[in-house]
Amino acid sequence: MSLHPMYARPRDLEQASQLLASLSSGAVIIAGGQEIMPFINYGVMMPDVYVDIGGIKALKGVNVNDDEVSIGALTVHRDIQSTEDIVERLPLLAYAAQQIGGGWQVHNRGTIGGNIVSMHPLYDIAPALLALDADVELLSDKGLQRMSLLQLQNDSSHGLGSSSILTKILVKTMLPNVLWGYYKLKNSAGAYGSANAAAVIQMDGEKIKSIRIVIGAVSETSVVISKALDGYLGGAYTLEIGRAIEKVCIDAIDEPLSDQQGDGVWRKAMAGIAARRATEMALSNLTTSSIKR
Amino acid sequence: MIEDKKESESYVGKSIRAKEARAPLIGKAKYTNDYTFSGQLYAHILRSPHAAAKINSVDVSGAKKVSGVHLAICGQDVFNHTNGITDHLNPAIFGGKSTRLPCMAVDEAWCYGQPVAIVVAEDERTARYAASRIQVDYTPLEPIIDVEKAVAKGARSVVPGWEDNTLIYVPFMNGDTQAAFDAASHVITTDVKIHRFSSQPMETRCYNAIWEHDTESITLYGTCQNPHPLRLVIAETLRMNENKIRIIASTIGGAFGLKMHGHPEEPLICLMAKLLGRPVKWVESREECLLIGAREQQHKVEMAFDSDGVMVGLRDNVLANIGAPSACPGWGMVFLTGLTMPGPYKVENIDVHMNAVTTNKPSWNAARGYGKESTAIALELAMDNAARQLGISPIDLRLKNFIAKDSFPYNSPTGLVYDSGDYSGVLLKALETIDYQGWKDKQAAALIEGRYLGIGVAFELTPEGGTIPGTMVAGYDSSTVRVGPDGTVRVLTGITSPGTHNATAMAQIAADELGVDIAKIEVLQGDTNASPYGFGNYSGRSTIVGGGSVALAAQDVRAKINAVAAALLEVEPDTLNLVSGVFSSSAKSDATLTFAEVCYASYTRAYDVAMCIDPPLEATRTFKPPGIRHTPDENGRINPYPSYSNAVYVVVCEVDTDTGKIDLLSLAAAHDCGKVINPILVEGQVCGAFAMGLGGALSEDIQYDANGVQLTKSFKDYVMLRMADIPPIGVAHHDCPNPDNYLGLKGAGEAGVGGSAAALVNAVNDALEPLGVLMHEMPLTPSRVWSAIQNANNGEGVN
Repeated sequence: MSLHPMYARPRDLEQASQLLASLSSGAVIIAGGQEIMPFINYGVMMPDVYVDIGGIKALKGVNVNDDEVSIGALTVHRDIQSTEDIVERLPLLAYAAQQIGGGWQVHNRGTIGGNIVSMHPLYDIAPALLALDADVELLSDKGLQRMSLLQLQNDSSHGLGSSSILTKILVKTMLPNVLWGYYKLKNSAGAYGSANAAAVIQMDGEKIKSIRIVIGAVSETSVVISKALDGYLGGAYTLEIGRAIEKVCIDAIDEPLSDQQGDGVWRKAMAGIAARRATEMALSNLTTSSIKR
Repeated sequence: MIEDKKESESYVGKSIRAKEARAPLIGKAKYTNDYTFSGQLYAHILRSPHAAAKINSVDVSGAKKVSGVHLAICGQDVFNHTNGITDHLNPAIFGGKSTRLPCMAVDEAWCYGQPVAIVVAEDERTARYAASRIQVDYTPLEPIIDVEKAVAKGARSVVPGWEDNTLIYVPFMNGDTQAAFDAASHVITTDVKIHRFSSQPMETRCYNAIWEHDTESITLYGTCQNPHPLRLVIAETLRMNENKIRIIASTIGGAFGLKMHGHPEEPLICLMAKLLGRPVKWVESREECLLIGAREQQHKVEMAFDSDGVMVGLRDNVLANIGAPSACPGWGMVFLTGLTMPGPYKVENIDVHMNAVTTNKPSWNAARGYGKESTAIALELAMDNAARQLGISPIDLRLKNFIAKDSFPYNSPTGLVYDSGDYSGVLLKALETIDYQGWKDKQAAALIEGRYLGIGVAFELTPEGGTIPGTMVAGYDSSTVRVGPDGTVRVLTGITSPGTHNATAMAQIAADELGVDIAKIEVLQGDTNASPYGFGNYSGRSTIVGGGSVALAAQDVRAKINAVAAALLEVEPDTLNLVSGVFSSSAKSDATLTFAEVCYASYTRAYDVAMCIDPPLEATRTFKPPGIRHTPDENGRINPYPSYSNAVYVVVCEVDTDTGKIDLLSLAAAHDCGKVINPILVEGQVCGAFAMGLGGALSEDIQYDANGVQLTKSFKDYVMLRMADIPPIGVAHHDCPNPDNYLGLKGAGEAGVGGSAAALVNAVNDALEPLGVLMHEMPLTPSRVWSAIQNANNGEGVN
């Protein structure tokens, strides 16, 4: 907590990593500032050192290597929504990014890295990435480390935001026969989501081959539901199966959030509704056209 | 006969774009926080984290050690320098309780967020940081948060020394209500719960106080609605003379009652400037702004009907959770909720009990509607409930019970005198505007598909221009009109604009009365050293009394100008014409003079041709609306309002029964505000009120936990509607001019929050009637609506 903070703007990842290793607690990493600046402005946070990673080129850009899309942590929401490689290869992610609130100001400043690092339960990026089984790459004084986003979400010792840097997000290109849906329930246009669901479904003709659903905004961290849905594979989708998926997803929520978005009983129920609606969206074959270019 | 510009050239009644709207739109308006002075210092207020606590000690030494800090003091020090804050409306005048209202807590904090200490420093960050170094030793007390707990026998008194927590109890009784209920065919009871929601102006409060060494006086740049009355409050609280205080209310970014005075920060920041001899600024955070409450009321409405569906009696018992005592006028909203019963309905027998109950929640301040919105919510939810129970359409039940068009002036059972109105006409116009039958058909078709559409209507009677005897809430106001030697016009008025652009309405009226181009008119408001004494804006009064006084003053000045023009042209004044800024005379075909030439002569030829007038071309006049009656009638009742605006709001919505989410499909309002001076300004008010009322009914909710700690701290939690939520709004005007006021004005700025909120609740209940759902507790959040549907599915029905 300092009245006269220091500001550092490392030129490259190596400098940034060395700097962070040399600093004690009280340093914050800042990029787009969408998470941190409101706290700074209201005096909730008074960091000693700001490490501004905004100038590091290695954290920018979207690249494709074979079938893997690499997204630099500094990529802003606006670019996630509209970059051709993401829209073509990861339409679910592009669509989820379009559901982010806050308007163009937030979309133009907020980064995918900041969105993940904040671990905010009501955000849209994590459910979409978890549905796509994404990996992340972290840099700390121990060097580069690759892990799944799911692993990161359940690991509290990653030091993100202060001692380690999220460098990129790595996602396998979605196969052409994969159907996807994303449903965000918001109380009103200006509200956070009160239940989000991402669905990724593989079909074998009329039959469901695999299904993976991720529920966000209902509990502290996003919940990945896959194995529990195995019983509904192999057949065609029916309303009964939809209701069954709804039930499975409700049961998957152990500790629902209860906040000003709504109470826990409702949130748990909405996990099911969002899951069913995301599934229905995936199966409606309307998804690709729903992305605003 | 003086012939001015043709009717088509007049400004009143036309949608003139507000000149003063440009600067806010392009981000260049100068709000209070945009003023910064040499030697500027900044204040930060440390607030109580407890809803109720003894304050054992406050140690400010840690703050004083921070470099850049000029002053750090606690409540006791401030207490020694000040009197209690002068009440905006002293409840004791009305038979209620009163207590000394300190600027900061001294021995005991009585709500979360109450100021406990203040730091003044070179910049805001330093002040805030230093405040975090202040050590306060509290002994928390059991807080009283719920109104039921506050009124329970043996409850601790929120204010030490009070025998109970009821700040004021006001009954409104008329006729023989018991007999009416005994004889009634039907009695319908509706429990209505209105939650705590208020208004959130985009511009939060800001005070910048300057100690003027030359005159040993204070200049306060402040976000305030009532600059002149605030002078008296600051003078009395700081033990100064009133003429030592100057208030400048700059451009205001929304007020809605929240910037009516009584806030502790007003005298507190002035005191800091006085103690330090330097300018001191304080800017309210959104979290602080969300401390200010309003409207939290529980009603038990009972309506008695005869066998024809005619209302024969009305009862209501109201508990209002007004929070901790405050010098702000918030508590008066409770009084007004009762006074406005039974709204537009013709029923003589009423028995209404209003209880304003003090708790350890933060205090109320005024909020748009000033209690009348709550009357509308309670009555209109109850009317729809009655219609449902009686099996009558809600439209027919209202039409059957409205006060008839030919009954005005109408004496209400609480003593009000309604000036004019055509309530049935307004309702029918609103239904026509929304295409009621068309939506009824769509509703029926949708239900077959398993979709739940609802149509709700609600009426709101909004008495405007109110005044309370013995208080600085006045019914009149004054304006000066000054025409310069070049023929340009300066209007100075005691009314202020909270962002409604009433200055444009003043300019329209002045332009028409003077016969000049509106571009030649400048209106100045809000500076107590420039404007005549006035009372600012509240109660939808500004255009009624501001407009009336501007018109009278302009007429006086115009008479002077006419006299000089006639003298110059050597004709009789009644032969003059003024067209497009040029005087001519029907008695002399070739001679003309420009308006500016006449004005110049009025200033420069005082000893010859302008002998006939007293220069300069200036007049100050007051408009006192004649409808107000403060002399009590035989029942001791007064009529504090000169005009009675009214409107009907219609909401069409669809409820997603899976989630409980409400989507708005169509909105309409028909409004009677008397003569419309500027349609776009009035329609702007109607649309704004709709957004506020719907936001309140759907999501805006200031929540506290069981210990009275504020949960709603930002717009992430206090979610207001956005453009994407609101469909286009159809607005229709249905004017019944006020017979007593200038141009028939009634006021347009305050109405609509209650009517639109009630219409929404009624629409949702209409949509869900096939499921047996009935809700009278706001807000209708998706989780609450969903729970009601679940309960109905489980056979529990009414919620």
